[in-house]
Amino acid sequence: MGLLSIIRKIKRKEKEMRILMVGLDNSGKTTIVLKINGEDTSVISPTLGFNIKTVKYQKYSLNIWDVGGQKTIRSYWRNYFEQTDGLVWVVDSSDIRRLDDCRAELHNLLKEERLAGASLLVFANKQDIQGALKPDEIAKVLNLEVMDRSRHWKIVGCSAYTGEGLLEGFDWLVQDVASRIYVLD
Amino acid sequence: MEPETDQPKAGGCGVGGHRKHLAMLERLSKRSSSSSPASDAGAGASPVDAFLSRFAGAKLAAESALSACRASSPEEDAAATASLAAAAAAIDDIDRLVAEASHALPPYELRAALSTAADLRAAHRAAASELRPKKSFSFRNKSRAPKNPPQDPATALPPPPPPPEQPKPSLDPILPGLGFRGRNGATLVKDLRASNNDKDGDFTLADLVSCEVYLKGKCRALYIHRLRDCRVFVGAVLGSVLIEDVEGCTFVMAAHQIRIHEARATDFYLRVRSRPIIEDCSGVRFAPHALHYEGIEEDLRESGLGEETGNWANVDDFKWLRAVQSPNWCFVPEEERLQAVDISEGHEQEDGIMFSFA
Ligand SMILES: Nc1nc2c(ncn2[C@@H]2O[C@H](COP(=O)(O)OP(=O)(O)O)[C@@H](O)[C@H]2O)c(=O)[nH]1
Ligand SMILES: [Mg+2]
Repeated sequence: MGLLSIIRKIKRKEKEMRILMVGLDNSGKTTIVLKINGEDTSVISPTLGFNIKTVKYQKYSLNIWDVGGQKTIRSYWRNYFEQTDGLVWVVDSSDIRRLDDCRAELHNLLKEERLAGASLLVFANKQDIQGALKPDEIAKVLNLEVMDRSRHWKIVGCSAYTGEGLLEGFDWLVQDVASRIYVLD
Repeated sequence: MEPETDQPKAGGCGVGGHRKHLAMLERLSKRSSSSSPASDAGAGASPVDAFLSRFAGAKLAAESALSACRASSPEEDAAATASLAAAAAAIDDIDRLVAEASHALPPYELRAALSTAADLRAAHRAAASELRPKKSFSFRNKSRAPKNPPQDPATALPPPPPPPEQPKPSLDPILPGLGFRGRNGATLVKDLRASNNDKDGDFTLADLVSCEVYLKGKCRALYIHRLRDCRVFVGAVLGSVLIEDVEGCTFVMAAHQIRIHEARATDFYLRVRSRPIIEDCSGVRFAPHALHYEGIEEDLRESGLGEETGNWANVDDFKWLRAVQSPNWCFVPEEERLQAVDISEGHEQEDGIMFSFA
């Protein structure tokens, strides 16, 4: 590891990680963030712009940016890329018609240089809905295997509605990010 | 604050029937990979890649022919008819490609391909019936005859709307979601309370023209795509409704979230827990929920929609981020509003096409 990056790590505010939540609108990003933070998920208005939440997770403090997924604002996603440690891409596994769109947006995002170092967690959300595609099917249609070898990634099936899978996903993401940026622990 | 820890076991969310189908597909794809792959795979490309690229080509051809047909004005009957014929030929191509490759395709690709073919068929039928509304077509889906040989693309006359058969009819049940697709001038009734699913599903309305849709009971999510001149009445949606590309319609529904994209000249009578959002819409109007059928109170209550929130009026236009009122939407003037609609009398027909997957 180069000296500069070591210095950067030391200078980081302790135990903080920056997580960017993205994906098409209606995929469940806001619901997931509220759920892992133990908040009420019964009334959620579609997100215009973004929400920022600081969530205590294990011994870390996650700074989660939940960015709206509407077409109108996808082009603004790039404004949030700087210093992202972990990327969470959320998929509505029952919205089969828009999976093409979903794949195109994801691969667009992954081209972004500023996100090159970020670990990627793909949530195949809404597994509670009958007929939702399973995570391995989502992985195929999103063409995840073509990803650059250097990228750390994982796909996890989940339901923000029941909470299933959310911890598995975030556990992996947090560990993966931590092992990269807190090596000096 | 620590996150909740009641995490069920991973992978515990499968449903027996669905699993079995996937397992069957898995076996199918395994069996075929040990036998010899399709012979016409392009040099160097895997059979799947070769399939996908030919499939994409045929899909593009079908879609552009269909949109040419939709775009042609009423006077250009001949042009529209020709586009329709071209679309039919392309869709036949797709069916043939899928049928040929079905043994070599992995489960997801097969399912996605079947579903694309079904959607295109539906769109084609909708376009055909729009073009010649007087002819009546039979969409009966009972016959399971093998696929006809593909239509010669050079055939000058438009083929009759092809029967909605699929290359592998036995795979019907794994096509995504329940729904009504590709209908014209029909009254479509579905009582979700009658279905004995062990978990709530999603429901799709796609490519409908001049239809009346009565959806009683509850569902988890509702996807609505490409409706023209339809009236749609929906009981309760426990999650969100996503509406894209509708025109000249009326919707009466209750849901936790409603997102409306590309709607034109359409009225929405809503009960909604969060603020309805519109994006790329024009001439859309809003009014309070007004629907009745036997048992709707219970459906609403059980879905957390028992109370009027007043949110039907709090519309956010994501394309109009200013303090002044968006020009894209308004309220339905009181004197024009629908009286409470009672759909108790609608009953499911036994015509075998309620779940028109084709
Ligand atoms: N059934 C089901 N619905 C979900 C799930 N996650 C989110 N939703 C619903 O999907 C809709 C969109 O969720 P939201 O978090 O606003 O999506 P966002 O646009 O990605 O932030 C809401 O109506 C949620 O209640 C899930 O796991 N299962
Ligand atoms: Mg949101």
